[in-house]
Amino acid sequence: MKVLQKIEADFKKNIAEVSSETKDIYTENFSEFKKIGIPTSKQEFWKFTNPSIIKDSEFSLGNSSEITDNEFDIILVNGKLIKKTEKIVNEDIKNSLEGKTLDSTIFEKTNNPFINLNNAFSTEGCVINFGDNSEEEISILNVVDNTSSEQIIHPRIIITAGKNSTISILEEIRFLGKNNNLVNSVTNFHLSEGANVEHIIIDDYSENTYQISNVLVKQKRDSTFSSYNYSNAKKLARRDFIVELKERGSHCDLRGVYLADDSNHIDHHTIIEHEDEHCTSNELYKGILSGKSTGVFNGRIHVHNDAQKTDAIQSNQNLLLSDNAIIHTKPELEIYADDVKCTHGATIGQLDEKGIFYLRARGIKREQAQKMMMRAYIGEVLKGMKNEKANEILLEKIIANIPEGD
Amino acid sequence: MLKINNLHASVEETSILNGINLEVKSGETHAIMGPNGSGKSTLAQVIAGHEDYEVEKGSIEYFGEDLLELDVDERACEGIFLAFQYPVELPGVNNTYFLKSALNAQRKHRGEEEIDAMDFMDIISDKIKLLNLKESLLKRPVNEGFSGGEKKRNEIFQMAVLEPKLALLDETDSGLDIDALKIVANGVNAMKSSERSTIVVTHYQRLLNYIVPDFVHVLVNGKIVKSGDKTLALELEEKGYEEVIKEAKK
Repeated sequence: MKVLQKIEADFKKNIAEVSSETKDIYTENFSEFKKIGIPTSKQEFWKFTNPSIIKDSEFSLGNSSEITDNEFDIILVNGKLIKKTEKIVNEDIKNSLEGKTLDSTIFEKTNNPFINLNNAFSTEGCVINFGDNSEEEISILNVVDNTSSEQIIHPRIIITAGKNSTISILEEIRFLGKNNNLVNSVTNFHLSEGANVEHIIIDDYSENTYQISNVLVKQKRDSTFSSYNYSNAKKLARRDFIVELKERGSHCDLRGVYLADDSNHIDHHTIIEHEDEHCTSNELYKGILSGKSTGVFNGRIHVHNDAQKTDAIQSNQNLLLSDNAIIHTKPELEIYADDVKCTHGATIGQLDEKGIFYLRARGIKREQAQKMMMRAYIGEVLKGMKNEKANEILLEKIIANIPEGD
Repeated sequence: MLKINNLHASVEETSILNGINLEVKSGETHAIMGPNGSGKSTLAQVIAGHEDYEVEKGSIEYFGEDLLELDVDERACEGIFLAFQYPVELPGVNNTYFLKSALNAQRKHRGEEEIDAMDFMDIISDKIKLLNLKESLLKRPVNEGFSGGEKKRNEIFQMAVLEPKLALLDETDSGLDIDALKIVANGVNAMKSSERSTIVVTHYQRLLNYIVPDFVHVLVNGKIVKSGDKTLALELEEKGYEEVIKEAKK
């Protein structure tokens, strides 16, 4: 387990500069991480994605570099906040903790070692606070500078949306190189009463990259969280969403498109906790896989005792463009309330040949007909996005990256 | 324009067409009638270029060229239009975008410039009135949530926009009430010209009251057993297929 020794050495170096007041948060999380270490696929939660393949690498903590891009309001490089915006309150985590503007309970220990590990290294990430009733559209560039090899980075973004705020956030995860790196990111969203937050992720392919990412959402009364997540596979990519609908009337939309080709791997786990009554969730994930790639979709909906009148919809659809591509799709419904509506469905198929023939019978070439069908297939996922510019960019980006079939 | 010679075709090793001979000249309207399973729709599909059907024998000449050499989209670009018996729903594909893509694909094939949005809308608003279709249907996904009648009218609307040389109407009358039938027939008739031919595939004589054929052919077991003028359709209506087939065999 070379990787653990290396991480421990880096951890000690990293917290050396942290004030004694906040040090405990980091050390507690690190010892929690050490209890489990890097998990293996023997654990159900990691059944199809085996993170233990990274244990023989000697990842050392990645360094930040200077990057400018005027298109973005906020820029992080290898987890370090390097560009802030005037538009809203944003600060790095260390200063936020020391200045007591960030509640340290956000770093509470979890049963996911990667989140604990991110907690233990979260000093330089970004805290963004949107005030009550604010209306903002911001863009974040989350850069992974993997021009050097064997780096581990722990990007952390913590977002709080004030009461009745309306927020749209576009986050692009951009890779600069192609070296063997491990990205372990965590993004938190805390939505106050009536907040309406849209989060768009554009996460493109990078070869030789291992990526573990967690998006943790907590929602108060009558808030709405809408997630649009475009994710291109990597050597290993796993993204989890854990959404806690904590108070009545809250709603979340989880929408995603994932692409995979060659022998790459992409795994999405979503967990929606329906904790109170009259909450709704709507989930639509679509995948297009080719080559010898593997995809995983695991959608868990947990309806607690008190969550009467829950309405939860889940759908996962997959197009397999080659004979050797694999998708593991699994809904997980755990329901303890009796007056609820939960539906789920999963499909695996090819493009509708009847539709393609219909288009061709009007003179459209096969290749273009397929593209039109793909555009329609993906367009459904992106429907309802409020950030129209992002919608267009994203759709074109996805279309351009759709893998070739057999 | 179209010469079909001893055409044999099968699907999944079941032979469906067993020696079709048919010649269609420019400006003519031909009706293909016949009982269920006689191969009427297959004939239309084979002419349009459906890849599920295997042509085993015979030939189709189109303006002197070998039609069977062309893919379905190439045939469409050469002016063959199939109005589907069951128009396909395309969720997420906008009707206007679809039609514009089709028209431009055909224009490109002919070496013409792509049509701009303004000119396209002019064509569209002209033709949509002809078929009495709601403009709002243009903004909807192709055929999705359309009623049976709207789907069929949408087929003829596409035909009006694409202006084919040879139109194949595959049971366009099925599922239409009498008002919709008249509208569809009107649309087809409005396009009648000496340059354009039509093959109407139908079970019933009813449609032929409105789209009057120059020739009527009776197809049985993949073969044309009898041909005649429009009075043959009336005879079929009166006596039924069995009677007419029996007489033809004598």
